[in-house]
Amino acid sequence: MEEQRITPHEDITALLEKAGEGDRQAFKDIVRLHQQKVFLLAYSILKNREDALDVVQETFMRLYQKIDVYEKGRNFQAWLLQIAKNLSIDYYRKHRGRRRDMEADQRIEDLPLAAADYRSNPESSELGRVLARNLERLGERQRLIFVMKHFNGLEYREIAQVLGISVGTVKSLHFKAVRNLKNWLSPQLGMQI
Amino acid sequence: MSERDREEFRRHIETCPACADEVPALERLLESADSLGREMKAALTEIDWDSQAEKIVAAVWDGQARPGKEKRFGWTGLFAPRLRPVLAGLVLGILVGAAAMFMAHRRGLLEKPQAEPFFASNEFLGRVDQEIARRDTLDYLEKSQDILLELAQTQTESGECRLTEAAAAETRALLSKKKYLNPQLEEARMLKAKDICDQIELLFTELAQVSEGLTPAQCRGIQDMVEDKNILLKIKLLKKELQESEV
Repeated sequence: MEEQRITPHEDITALLEKAGEGDRQAFKDIVRLHQQKVFLLAYSILKNREDALDVVQETFMRLYQKIDVYEKGRNFQAWLLQIAKNLSIDYYRKHRGRRRDMEADQRIEDLPLAAADYRSNPESSELGRVLARNLERLGERQRLIFVMKHFNGLEYREIAQVLGISVGTVKSLHFKAVRNLKNWLSPQLGMQI
Repeated sequence: MSERDREEFRRHIETCPACADEVPALERLLESADSLGREMKAALTEIDWDSQAEKIVAAVWDGQARPGKEKRFGWTGLFAPRLRPVLAGLVLGILVGAAAMFMAHRRGLLEKPQAEPFFASNEFLGRVDQEIARRDTLDYLEKSQDILLELAQTQTESGECRLTEAAAAETRALLSKKKYLNPQLEEARMLKAKDICDQIELLFTELAQVSEGLTPAQCRGIQDMVEDKNILLKIKLLKKELQESEV
């Protein structure tokens, strides 16, 4: 993966310092390390590949502007994803009208990101496809937490930092998301109704 | 979960069939979620992330962003969507205020009411002048009377008389006052009073010329003048008349 291309001993603080001093390569390393996580978060909100890529670019531009205000010791990934989340929500609100028109004839399983894989392995992805569709039924915070936990692999503590809420609230919302999904997916999960 | 929680959970599952039935479903759901996450990550390989990273870095380095140069405030920020309700409220307020001002102006509510002109009849004004002249004349007569009486009291056995310094100063002040009193008396048609005041003025003019000590002859001359013309009596009568004619 991308992470392997980065020199292991160069931690994020050092990269940020170098980037702040104008080191282009250091900044590029930061982008390579985190762009996919930012993309996944943006995509989970925008559900459009091109829009999510726009937000990824915007997020790193914003990061570069704010690089001097980053506090050492702070969870960088949570901070970056917080920027990405805010920009994604801004982007969504700005382009709501256009998106409404675009999504009118589009189904969630046809979205470009996941579609290729489902087609390539339809049997194993059946439950995944239903799950992806039902994620849309979750409330915004429940969906974001579920995505960050299971797709981005963030800890509860990191999710709490990104969303600016307590860890207890994150756990509670995650529990509700799982319970809702379990109820909606009962037949596919083999549960008796 | 902590080890202790896991153990407690395991014991609960063993004794609760309902929860025991749900566990496999939940495990399947979470496994499926993790699997979906992996699939999505795998699908990310469609994107050329190297090019993407280069594109981002180029956008940043091409001057579209600089560290610490974040725009804090811009006038265009005033028109941001989140401020639109505020702006709309302001514009509405200005419009309503302007309309209210226009209506008020149109109805003349804002025009300063003209002060009512002061009106006084000629008769009233005449009476005012007369009253002022009366009071000034009374004052003139009283002070004149005091000076003349004082002059009479200071006469010695040899016939000399002398005005005190204060009386001399008062004499000069009364001569000046008489100049201002003349037009007042004429205007108020107080001719009798003017005649008496003229006589006093003449007397004081004589006194002012000999302010130091008056010789017996001079003193006698002054007293003769006062007596011949009954000036003290006239002053007394005129004062009485003026006091009774108070407006």
